[in-house]
Amino acid sequence: MTRAATRLSWLATLLIAAGCATTGSDGNDASSVPTWTTRAIPEARGDIRTLPDGNREALRYPGWPTTDFTRFRTYAYADTRGEVPVKRVTMPAGVTGDPKKGRALFLARAKGPCTGCHLIPGDDVWPAGNVGPDLSTIADRRLSNDYLYQQIYDPRPVFPQTSMPPWGATGAFTPEEIVHVVAFLQTLKGPLPSEKDADRNPATRTKPVGFGDNLDPTNNPAVLLAEGAETQWNAKGPAGKACADCHAGGADAAMKGVAVRYPRFVAQYRRVMGIEDFLTVHGPETTGTAMPSESDANLNLTMLVKMASNGMPVAIDTESPPARAALARGRAAFYRRVGERDHACADCHTPEKGANKFLGGRLLAEVTTGLTRHFPTWRTSQNQVWDMRKRMQWCMTPLGTNMLPADAIEYAELELYLTSFDVGKPMSVPGIRH
Amino acid sequence: MSDIGKVRVRIPSSIKAGDVVRVRTLVLHPMERIERDAQGKIIDKKYNYITKMTVTYLGKTVVSFDTTQSVSENPFFSFAFKATDPGQLKVTFTDTTGGKYEGTADIKFS
Repeated sequence: MTRAATRLSWLATLLIAAGCATTGSDGNDASSVPTWTTRAIPEARGDIRTLPDGNREALRYPGWPTTDFTRFRTYAYADTRGEVPVKRVTMPAGVTGDPKKGRALFLARAKGPCTGCHLIPGDDVWPAGNVGPDLSTIADRRLSNDYLYQQIYDPRPVFPQTSMPPWGATGAFTPEEIVHVVAFLQTLKGPLPSEKDADRNPATRTKPVGFGDNLDPTNNPAVLLAEGAETQWNAKGPAGKACADCHAGGADAAMKGVAVRYPRFVAQYRRVMGIEDFLTVHGPETTGTAMPSESDANLNLTMLVKMASNGMPVAIDTESPPARAALARGRAAFYRRVGERDHACADCHTPEKGANKFLGGRLLAEVTTGLTRHFPTWRTSQNQVWDMRKRMQWCMTPLGTNMLPADAIEYAELELYLTSFDVGKPMSVPGIRH
Repeated sequence: MSDIGKVRVRIPSSIKAGDVVRVRTLVLHPMERIERDAQGKIIDKKYNYITKMTVTYLGKTVVSFDTTQSVSENPFFSFAFKATDPGQLKVTFTDTTGGKYEGTADIKFS
């Protein structure tokens, strides 16, 4: 490229960045990111279908909520919609707040639940979280009804950086419902009765300790599934070749040190790929075996490949120009506010915000500790192996945004950003988590 | 599964003489369940599942389990025994096809 051409491309980048800034995007250049046709199993593609009655339903994994969130912005780079507009309001006159109704709304799981982040008195409050302030004695602060109403309706005029969703602005709560919740909050006065159960209060709750040795096959069923993939490794595909034919010496020797470099930018496909993404194209191209993203074949083989690098420090490329551009986009995605809840990943997973606090009964992980080096991981609560992408997709529903395909470039670059915190730390696949 | 009959035996990393030791064992095995045809009739064939598990320590049988088809695929057994002397702990699984699968652990005192 000549110097003039370089300058031109720089100018173009600047112009695009400026253009994005005015449309409320993250200001990162996503124009170089190719479009990607998903190679995931049908339930992992984030498809939406229209039912005979005209309602729309999201196609997700069995047992997952099917609510369609098309109205709200997603992680897709092509989605240039802004976040939910900030709205200043005053409390409607003519509605009398009922504290009883307010308390029921505060606890309603179909709504917030507000208790996911805020503690209030009562033995039926279980499990409460502490991402937001403890509201047990909020009425003692003598805040005005109008102030509390605005805080629930849309807290952003007062706290622009808040993690609290704009409940009224998105329509999750109606104005009347918010009046009831305000009336309830105004009844919360001290002094508090002494706590019967230390685990009720997230501040004094015992933190979970984990599930023991994740590489012990008598402890982690995923180890056996991964070892089962050795059959697949040696099996000839429709093209007459097996993985073992090109990668000689057994999976353990041939794949040693490979996984520590993933996710990485693969020039051939002009995109960032995790092992899972790479197998979706590499399998059909070489052995002829289909390995769609989120299929058992893909997951088990991914684990087998990653296990060959267990104990070795993660060493992804963060320096090459395409990797840096992808990392910047991944980081922007991490801080991008999406969905009905107007949440960003950062709201729950940075130490300044929710990390290491309880969201309901769940302890939120901290991004800086590195969250990817034990994925795919066995989930004791699901009795399933989940890779990083399914874990991300699982986060989408509580955010109130439609999930992208499991092998989406957006997720791959977000995973790249997350993995940048794992660099230098030893891989340990498959993990075992709740 | 790749290796039918691969036996894993896990013991604590440090054992002292006289300790009661908890052993965890697992065998890779399909443990075939009863199959039925389209009419719901049980298909009569020889199902392959583990019927016996025996543990010997210093040449003596410590414990044995009789198992049936109700036990899951890749069965996992855990038991405790008193480690009195250093020696070999041997776990043997026998299935209906006559297959015998063995795993061992060396009991050493530290």
